Amino acid sequence: MTQATSPLPRQRKSGVGSLLGAAGNHYVLVACSAVAFIVLWQIVSMNVPPVILPSPASVAVAFVQLTASGELVRATLQTLWPFAIGLSVAFIVGTSLGLVLGIFAPAAKLFDPYIFVFWSIPNIAWLPLFIAWFGVGNLTLVVFVFVSAVFPQLLTVEAGAKEADSFLVEVARSLGGSKREILHIVVLPSALPYIFAGLRIAVGRALVGIIVGQLLIVATGIGYMFQFYGETLSLAKYFAPLIVIAALAVLLNRAVNWAENFFIPWKTRAFV
Amino acid sequence: MPELEFVNIRKGYRSPTGDDLLAISDFSLKVDGGRFVTVVGPSGCGKTTLLRMAAGLIAPGAGEVRLDGVPLATPSPKMSMVFQAIGLMPWKTVESNVALGIQLQSHRQKLTPDELGRVQATIALVGLKGFERYYPSQLSGGMQQRVGLARALVRQPEILLMDEPFGALDAQTRAVLQDELLNLWGRIKSTVLFITHDLDEAIYLSDMVVIMGRRPGRIKEVLEVKLPRPRYSYDARAEPEFARLRNIAWQSIKEEL
Repeated sequence: MTQATSPLPRQRKSGVGSLLGAAGNHYVLVACSAVAFIVLWQIVSMNVPPVILPSPASVAVAFVQLTASGELVRATLQTLWPFAIGLSVAFIVGTSLGLVLGIFAPAAKLFDPYIFVFWSIPNIAWLPLFIAWFGVGNLTLVVFVFVSAVFPQLLTVEAGAKEADSFLVEVARSLGGSKREILHIVVLPSALPYIFAGLRIAVGRALVGIIVGQLLIVATGIGYMFQFYGETLSLAKYFAPLIVIAALAVLLNRAVNWAENFFIPWKTRAFV
Repeated sequence: MPELEFVNIRKGYRSPTGDDLLAISDFSLKVDGGRFVTVVGPSGCGKTTLLRMAAGLIAPGAGEVRLDGVPLATPSPKMSMVFQAIGLMPWKTVESNVALGIQLQSHRQKLTPDELGRVQATIALVGLKGFERYYPSQLSGGMQQRVGLARALVRQPEILLMDEPFGALDAQTRAVLQDELLNLWGRIKSTVLFITHDLDEAIYLSDMVVIMGRRPGRIKEVLEVKLPRPRYSYDARAEPEFARLRNIAWQSIKEEL
């Protein structure tokens, strides 16, 4: 056969240049909006009592104080580790169970109703039960984070494994693929994007789970800081853990994006 | 030379209203080894169903498909199929997609150095040298179908089944790929069973054109195409013989529309 037109250059200069330009503009825009936000915050806070809205400056001072005293760092760690354990276990269990249920229809028939019922129950309703079972402590937090995160992970991955394109399955079959090979070549790769979609939701749910658990029950970590400084109306100090949680949420989201780009190159490297 | 034979094939299906309908009735066809045979017919005549039977993807209701006299039940490693919708794995590069043709044939993940060489050579053969590490989404439709062709050819098939492989491509790309297919086939000399609804394509490519009617799907007419090869070396489509065959085929197929 004749050679097709020469390979497209990996990176088109003009494309990359304009992309960088766009990214640059993006950062400028973000910085502008942040400045505008803080200015607006400052203006509003000067017109209301500090007990309603503390000024940005007083929040910054409180943030530095709480960091220097070690309280914020300690609280962050107390929040992070039950969060990380609960989320990790939920990710592993949710992903593997989701794959199994998505691939083996009889298993799905058997378990789907239970999963649906458990998932429909508002998470918070479990908390008193978990305290009765696991006591007021980190075990309850881990279990609560797990329950918050496992269902979105499981259901998304299960849906993804069922999504496998039946035409691609037929193509693999026509080439002689066995059931196992088809699983490996078609079903698992098509479920991969769903694993990350599930993780994105699970991270959010797990974050809600750990804060709610610490705020309502276990009285440790960032969640407890919210409760304590909220009740004592020390709003400047209340905002410090809020910043930590916001930063954590953004970082985790970025991490999932990065993992997605790394593991799903066929989606992200497309440029035609 | 391997030959493919359809023997008294019937296939029915149940309509939404619950009636039993006959999709294909008493279809018998012998595709002699090394020949390029094309089946044309209006949509709904069951030609794709027949090809999927030949590929071992579905079983006939009655009758059998024989490969070298042996009834065929499952996909055979001696065959390759090329699909209109191509069906490349989006998560695999061009190279890995082509390699898949061998991996699913030998049921080994790891390719031997010899097989790796074959993958490279086949990619070059279809004109995609330099695109080995591209993903399908980075290629045009015509280039994707070249990959589909390479995935089929790398298996060194005795029989090549092609289901309207150029149907989704624009007219220019289609004409180019038709010539390239003829050129390739001139070298590999496998048996080809090709499906299309394009009469010109059928006559231009084939040694024999089988015209099907529908309701139920059956053979209406068989035309031998004796235009000399290679047909891309002259303007075969302008030959009086081409026009004559085209006219016969068109008259025959018109009654089915």
